[in-house]
Amino acid sequence: MAAHAPIGKIQSEDDPRVLLDEQIGSFEPIPPYPPRTERESEFYTLGDGEMFLNMGPQHPSTHGVLRVVLKISGEQVVDLDPVLGYLHRGVEKLCENSDYHHIISQVDPLEYVSSLFNEWAPVMAFEKLLDVEVPRRAEYIRVLTSELLRIASHALFQGWMALDLGGLTPILYSFIERDEICEMLAAVTGQRMLFNYFRIGGVNGDVNHEFMSRLGDWMSRATKQHETSIGLLNENEIFVRRMRDIGRLDRDLALRMAVTGPNLRAAGVPYDLRRAHPYSVFPELEFDIPVRGTGPEGGDALDRYLLRLEEVKQSLRIIDQCLHNMPDGPVMAKLPRLLRPRPGRAWAAVEAPRGLYGTYAISDGTDQPFRMKIHDPSFVHLQLVGQLMRGNLIADTMAVMASLDPIMGGVDK
Amino acid sequence: VSALTRPWNNLTLVGKVVLPLLLLVVVVGPIATVLLAVYVGPWVVNVLADNIGIVRFVVAITAVLLFSIPAAFIIIYMELKVIAYMNTRVGPNRVGPGGSLHSVVAGLKVLLKEDFTPTSADAIVFTWAPVFVFLTAVMTFLVLPFGPPEYNAATGQYERGGIVGQDLNIGILYLFAVGGMTVVGLLIAGWSSFNKYSLLGGLRSAAQVVSYEIPLTLSVVGLILLTGTMSLQSIAVDQGGGFWNWYVFRQPLGALIFFIAATAEANRTPFDLTEADSEIVAGFATEYSGMRFGFLFFAEYVNVFIISGLLVTFFFGAWNAPVPFPVIDVSLDPGSLGIALLLLILILPAVFTVLFALPFWLTNSKMPGWQALILGFLAFNVVAVGAVFGLAYVGFAWFAGIVWFMIKCFLFVYLFVWMRGTLPRVRIDHLMGFAWKWLLPAALLNLFVTAIAIVVLKTPPPG
Repeated sequence: MAAHAPIGKIQSEDDPRVLLDEQIGSFEPIPPYPPRTERESEFYTLGDGEMFLNMGPQHPSTHGVLRVVLKISGEQVVDLDPVLGYLHRGVEKLCENSDYHHIISQVDPLEYVSSLFNEWAPVMAFEKLLDVEVPRRAEYIRVLTSELLRIASHALFQGWMALDLGGLTPILYSFIERDEICEMLAAVTGQRMLFNYFRIGGVNGDVNHEFMSRLGDWMSRATKQHETSIGLLNENEIFVRRMRDIGRLDRDLALRMAVTGPNLRAAGVPYDLRRAHPYSVFPELEFDIPVRGTGPEGGDALDRYLLRLEEVKQSLRIIDQCLHNMPDGPVMAKLPRLLRPRPGRAWAAVEAPRGLYGTYAISDGTDQPFRMKIHDPSFVHLQLVGQLMRGNLIADTMAVMASLDPIMGGVDK
Repeated sequence: VSALTRPWNNLTLVGKVVLPLLLLVVVVGPIATVLLAVYVGPWVVNVLADNIGIVRFVVAITAVLLFSIPAAFIIIYMELKVIAYMNTRVGPNRVGPGGSLHSVVAGLKVLLKEDFTPTSADAIVFTWAPVFVFLTAVMTFLVLPFGPPEYNAATGQYERGGIVGQDLNIGILYLFAVGGMTVVGLLIAGWSSFNKYSLLGGLRSAAQVVSYEIPLTLSVVGLILLTGTMSLQSIAVDQGGGFWNWYVFRQPLGALIFFIAATAEANRTPFDLTEADSEIVAGFATEYSGMRFGFLFFAEYVNVFIISGLLVTFFFGAWNAPVPFPVIDVSLDPGSLGIALLLLILILPAVFTVLFALPFWLTNSKMPGWQALILGFLAFNVVAVGAVFGLAYVGFAWFAGIVWFMIKCFLFVYLFVWMRGTLPRVRIDHLMGFAWKWLLPAALLNLFVTAIAIVVLKTPPPG
């Protein structure tokens, strides 16, 4: 047998040098296998005048590597099917093979625009497993840094929202705001994006002078800066008209789909984990829970956008109180270097910028968790996409998706 | 002998053939040129003079084609830089002073890239679509008046013509006919690419451009009623004598409708649905690469210049200065100076270089004399160029016309760039609703009001 005997017999249409077993048509139906479920067969059957539009995974505005198969009739989206898994790295499995300290750096890049919350949930779960008392100063520092990051995340949301609607400029102003906060956090954590700062039993290092001076400088103009960045978009007629009345999410649907965070509060449910299941030092802090869309028809994309802007103001209030109330003391609890928690299970959740971010950890008494499940809000919210977008236009797909604010790093894990 | 033979032997075979030919060309070339100029020249000039119409047309076409490329380059650079400053970025700053040659290098890059055709695309149509788009954009330049025609002092009237490709008496009709053809190019570009994004972009552009064509045309009809002519040069002449004569003050609604509809016609933000990058990637241009994409890209910026030019021509006084400049007669013939001219050319630069160098030298004790002289020479050049331009502005009406036309045009280009930096994109149903529910009735209202006003005020249209 010759070393390079051609396998196929038929010349490919696409590339004459390639020999194929059977001719592959230019457009095979998506997916190239028989439908596996009823839903799949329903979705991949085209009606009259309909066509598929494959958006992503390499698309400018799907917020990472999300692939959305749209079934469109002209400009109207009849149905759509989000396809996940292009960024899957097996983080949960990696965590189960790392010791408890190591896990903090494994979960960092999940929801990469707000990594402190990714660290906080597993750290809190492990503290429950280990029965550790976290020093109060460490708790205050956690609240302070994570609320800063919530502002950065919401600022970025605002810019993305505008970019998906075709506005070029706001994203760069958002990045200025986020950059200041990242620089600030870099001064105390040593990293700009994936901080690896929280530790089981405290935080890695006390706040330092550079952080405090940057923070004080920023706090003096933060409110004004926030008002300015709002003005460019909120008074723009095109922007408001495009966001209004699209992607309406009512109370029932939101509760049925397990929506949390700003998306739930914009559907009229005042549920905030910081108040509903208080953790850390949040019971001592004063802040409001902004709610929008309390009417029977729920909230639209504009409500979700405006609610996040109101949350920024509340975060500024929390930061202000943290700075005034922060006690002295250690920032780390005394713990052995090798952690072997008692066998058991623990659930811990925090209110991340996108909703409930939780970790469920099972310990079998070794230095690695037996099982670690990560609950990511973006994954839950992405299920809504199919519900909210039917009957909208292609352009609204982007707006609705941006208003739900999914981060694909967290969705695919 | 050896001094000559050695280099000769070092030459390759090709060199041995080319070098004598080169010498031949260097010797024969000038002689032949002189002979041609003396014996054939008059004949050629006569033939050209007899066919002045054709010559004029060919020159105009060439000039228009050549002009479109630097205009597009300048607008692309302007867009990059202005939006960069609006975004608090730096923008291009590597090639040329302030990155000003960036778009030239980008154009070269586009030329060098692979010219790619998708497998299932309709290759012929796919190849010709960008040419179509570009040509329809450039052809509009033909009727744009860049400068004033000659003023006939005897009759007190302007002659026809001027710095304009062809002063068609149906200029506006031609304009809308050619402008409406752009959509065909975009449509076939989107259709032939065999890509769903391209198809959507092409169809979007068809819907958009066809809808906005109607208010665009209707907004100018009021103007035609006022002027009684469709020649763009005549409209420009009518607006002379100061900014209060500009048609924007007599047709404010028409100007506004024209501005909005023209923005949509050129697919600019906020009406850039055809290439909405966050929705359909790049619209009709998704599958294009290399110079074919370059043509589509150029056409877009040429269109920006054209809509600015049309706005200026129709409503903002074309090439007329906002306040008419007092005419100064500089009929100084340099030839009459005789030998003095030669002396001036020799002496003036030296004298002025030293004069301009003196302040630098006197005020800065650390500066060596030669540095001061260089600075003085540079200062002299700046002043001399300024003086030449000033003289040209005062002495030649066409020069002043071009200057004012360009200033106004680029002000509007800046406005379009500013809009792109500020506004988000409208949605397709809002876009269509706006055209049919608001712009069209407003344009009709403008037309009726203008017509009634002309009848009531009994001002017969001129011409």
